[in-house]
Amino acid sequence: MLHVSNLTKRYGHLTALSEVSCSIRPGEVLGLIGPNGSGKTTLFECLGGVLPADGGSISENGHALTADERKARVFYLPDAIAPWPAQTVHWALEFIAGFFGWRESDTSDTSDTVIADVVRQLDLEPLLDSPIGTLSKGQRKRALLAIGLLTPQPILLADEPFDGLDLRQTREVAGTLRSHAGAGRTMFLSIHQITDAARVCDRFVLLSGGRVCGEGTLDELSRRADRARQGPGASDNLEDVFLALT
Amino acid sequence: MSSWLSHRRALTWLVRKEWRELVASRSWWILLVAMGPLVGVSFISAVRTYAEASGFNGTAVGQGVGEAFSPLIGVWAPTFSACELAAAFLLPFVGIRLVSGDRQSGALKIELQHPGMQSPAVARVSAKALVLLAGWLIASAAPALAVVLWRTYGGSIYPPELVTVVFGHLLNAGLTIALAAATASLTEHPSTAAILTLSVTVGTWIVNFIAAVNGGVWERAAGYTPTAMVAEFQHGLIRLDVVLVALALVVAGLGLSAIWMRLGVPVRRRVNESIALGALTAAVMFACTFFTPSWDTSENRGNSFAEADEEMLKTIRTPLRIEAHLAPEDPRRVDLEHRALSKLRRVMPKTQVHYVSSTTIGLFEQTAPHYGEIWYELGGRKTMSRVTTAEGVLESIYELAGVTPPAEDEASLFRGHPLAVPPKGAATVFYGIWPAVIVATALFVRRRQA
Repeated sequence: MLHVSNLTKRYGHLTALSEVSCSIRPGEVLGLIGPNGSGKTTLFECLGGVLPADGGSISENGHALTADERKARVFYLPDAIAPWPAQTVHWALEFIAGFFGWRESDTSDTSDTVIADVVRQLDLEPLLDSPIGTLSKGQRKRALLAIGLLTPQPILLADEPFDGLDLRQTREVAGTLRSHAGAGRTMFLSIHQITDAARVCDRFVLLSGGRVCGEGTLDELSRRADRARQGPGASDNLEDVFLALT
Repeated sequence: MSSWLSHRRALTWLVRKEWRELVASRSWWILLVAMGPLVGVSFISAVRTYAEASGFNGTAVGQGVGEAFSPLIGVWAPTFSACELAAAFLLPFVGIRLVSGDRQSGALKIELQHPGMQSPAVARVSAKALVLLAGWLIASAAPALAVVLWRTYGGSIYPPELVTVVFGHLLNAGLTIALAAATASLTEHPSTAAILTLSVTVGTWIVNFIAAVNGGVWERAAGYTPTAMVAEFQHGLIRLDVVLVALALVVAGLGLSAIWMRLGVPVRRRVNESIALGALTAAVMFACTFFTPSWDTSENRGNSFAEADEEMLKTIRTPLRIEAHLAPEDPRRVDLEHRALSKLRRVMPKTQVHYVSSTTIGLFEQTAPHYGEIWYELGGRKTMSRVTTAEGVLESIYELAGVTPPAEDEASLFRGHPLAVPPKGAATVFYGIWPAVIVATALFVRRRQA
């Protein structure tokens, strides 16, 4: 289990993350919920090693991880990027598989199978020959998710994985992410649409103003929300819980 | 072992990726297209002038007037100067595009998360530098075509001097690539990187200008600017100190790029590392300036005295001191430096040269006592001369050393290779065929890649 302790990030006088702590359990789909500007992307960038944190630590089973150790465990998939815009989706997937080591000890058949599986799961077949720079927002999001799923790290941090997807695609992608979690890969998803989060996540971390307002399953968070409201709320859906706790 | 293999495989994939990115970039194809006309205009003009000096259309009687008929000076230096232009004004944009593109697109954030790679930023910068250098070599096919054309005209080629010119321009391209990589990593936006790169280039020109006006330390520093470096290679001179300083700068530029390319590292740490790298580079460069070996690869021995004179000078072990009362901008000082002292330093590295002047141009010092005098001191004996030619300088040194000047060997004098042939077909090749082939290749390759 990966444990984040007191992670703090400041931009000058502005505190983007204030002593954020949470746990990431193996094989779970963990949702990071918070409004715009709550620090979700900053938290992911700090966890992924893209941004330097000003304080705090990440540990695994009590052992504080070095930068290299963290890199071996966590892959951060940013939102709103269009890597290698001139290259085709097919090439980008081959590159990720080759660069990140699928071809290392296996035959290229294995890597082709892995790529084919991801392509099928994310319905990328019609887009394989399109340059990434020409894809629509939703298509690019699916291509990016495929890139993330092809990386070898056991924990995938995906920033807004459903952004730009329609309802049908959101459900299909949610199913794909769940199936990968079922196969043992941990998913930590930053989601600002609470209904999407409720559909796919096992547990939630609620973030508001750079602080963690709650962590747990929907039931655990509901009980906490009840305590905060000093009585049972109108309903136990995630939206109400989120509003009660933030 | 498996970690090393993994690292090597990842690096191979990076190189493949950088190559595809280079091929996909319009800036590289524009560089390639521009190289043809740039080289063409220089080559055609050089061959015409060479032909006229050789007696083409009865313009002169071209029978052996030495340096005038050296292909190195007459053809290769001007032809390859197109590479200098391209390296200063086109190559930086190709480099910046390749380095900044990943940051702009977000690819950097993905690639730098490779779990098994030691120093992924260094690997990425190395892959980019390697591919850019390959891209430059392909662009060098244009001057290579000029060499082929020259050969078909019946022109003489002296491989050592040609290789020296090519090496000089390759080193210059390396410097440009390193500079572009450093600025692209240091800045957030490619346009800022472009401005910064051009500022550094203009800065080196300013150093050259100040050196010409003030002399002294500036003159010494100006000797290591890309312009001065390329000029020496274009004259067939390879100086070990210049090569080492250039290599140190290339490594420093790429190192700086790697420092600032990394993600997740606090700015303060990067600043400290950059300062340390700068200090280390300065120390290495200073140490490099003490390496005096140099090689004159020119067929006409334009950077050397006659062999007999060099043999004689080598026998003089006593340190020589020269005091020249000439202002930095005085043409006689330029003559003295280029015709005699630069050659003398190669044979007698311990020679101390001291310039004395009160003004920069010397025009108003002409009537001052001692102005124009060149004093030679060897083993306590002194002599004065006003002659700035190689022969005059050698005469003074031989007189002080008490040795008899060696007899002039007429047979060893370079007589040149006159060639009174017009640049036939060159315009078609460089202005027509070259751009057409590049555009066709670009369309084919990009379509195939897509």
